[in-house]
Amino acid sequence: MQIEQVQEHAGEAAAEGFNAGAVIIEHVANSPIDHPLIHLPTIAGIDLSVTKHVFMLWVVAALVFAAVTIAVRRYLRQDRLVPSGFMNALEAVVEFIRDNVVRPSVGDTWAPTWMPLVMTFFVFILTANAIGLIPVFEVLGLLDHWVLHAGEESFFARLLHGGSTATSNFNVTAALAVVTFFAIIVAGSKAHGAVQHWKNLVPHGVSPFLAVALIPIEILGMLVRPFALTMRLAANMTGGHIAILAILSFVFIFAEMAGSYVGIGVGAAFSVPLAVAITALEIIVVLVQAYVFTLLTAVFIGMAIHAHH
Amino acid sequence: MFGSRQERRGEPSRSLISARSLKALQTTISRSGPAAMVSYTLIGAIVLLGGIGYAIDEWRGTSPWFLLGGLLLGLIVGFYELAKTLWRS
Repeated sequence: MQIEQVQEHAGEAAAEGFNAGAVIIEHVANSPIDHPLIHLPTIAGIDLSVTKHVFMLWVVAALVFAAVTIAVRRYLRQDRLVPSGFMNALEAVVEFIRDNVVRPSVGDTWAPTWMPLVMTFFVFILTANAIGLIPVFEVLGLLDHWVLHAGEESFFARLLHGGSTATSNFNVTAALAVVTFFAIIVAGSKAHGAVQHWKNLVPHGVSPFLAVALIPIEILGMLVRPFALTMRLAANMTGGHIAILAILSFVFIFAEMAGSYVGIGVGAAFSVPLAVAITALEIIVVLVQAYVFTLLTAVFIGMAIHAHH
Repeated sequence: MFGSRQERRGEPSRSLISARSLKALQTTISRSGPAAMVSYTLIGAIVLLGGIGYAIDEWRGTSPWFLLGGLLLGLIVGFYELAKTLWRS
């Protein structure tokens, strides 16, 4: 019975043929808008349905909130305030961000004001990036395929469609960059006053004629910065996943072309070792991209605060 | 109590060396902030403004003028940001 089922599945898969592009896109992209996880009505032209990336954002937020809250509460309940285990690691990260990212760029006076925002960015983006590397949904997909057989319209089956790295979605990173954009304006306004912040856009001591020409360039520069943040994070997170999937696709492409033994050979000799290596590289990328986003946010805020120094 | 054998002989101990190299790495990282910002802004400006120019060309059928203008403006904005960071340091 089981073996018949396996053969049937294999037959179906072979008849359809392997489409590398479609498989890769399904593993990277958000769940399709006509098949969201939870259907919600459209309000003012915006479809509020919960897709997989929105769901992953919630998971990340809940995970970060729970982990940090539990660790800090347990730490505060101790008699001697000596951190250990997870709390120790957390404290090292917080100190690293404070001493190497926020203080050098924002300055000691404003560091306590902007530290919470920058720290939240770092932990949130790092967790969202890292969850994309853990193949939870691929394992669930196997479980569904062989054991559960959940219906096509069930919540579980919908959960399996689409990629799980929320930060590889341009909309997510754009939203994060918009927070940075407004944080820059608020930082400048708090440090210099609302009017002086906008006057600071034009460099000090240039002739009035040049200043007029510089205003549009400065405004464009102001808009370009969050755009650069958006593209960098999303493109990096998408790129790594596509590279891994493309390399693993060679197994199936060669199996289709020259038989399954050639496919297995290509997998063992080339695809799997290279995919493992790229996954190891991705672990570094996950850390570096979260770090760069927070570093750039801190630098931008610092530039608004130290406008003329 | 009196430090490791190397320290007593006037040589820095291994932990001190690794602490120093970590410190050096941290200063390098914290100084690299503006440089990282400028490199991303330079590319971002060209891509964003070139992209907007391309979109206007597609919409109004004026190819290639807005694309060229957008790329040029992107270069100006990107290099202006680069120059500003260099003047600052």
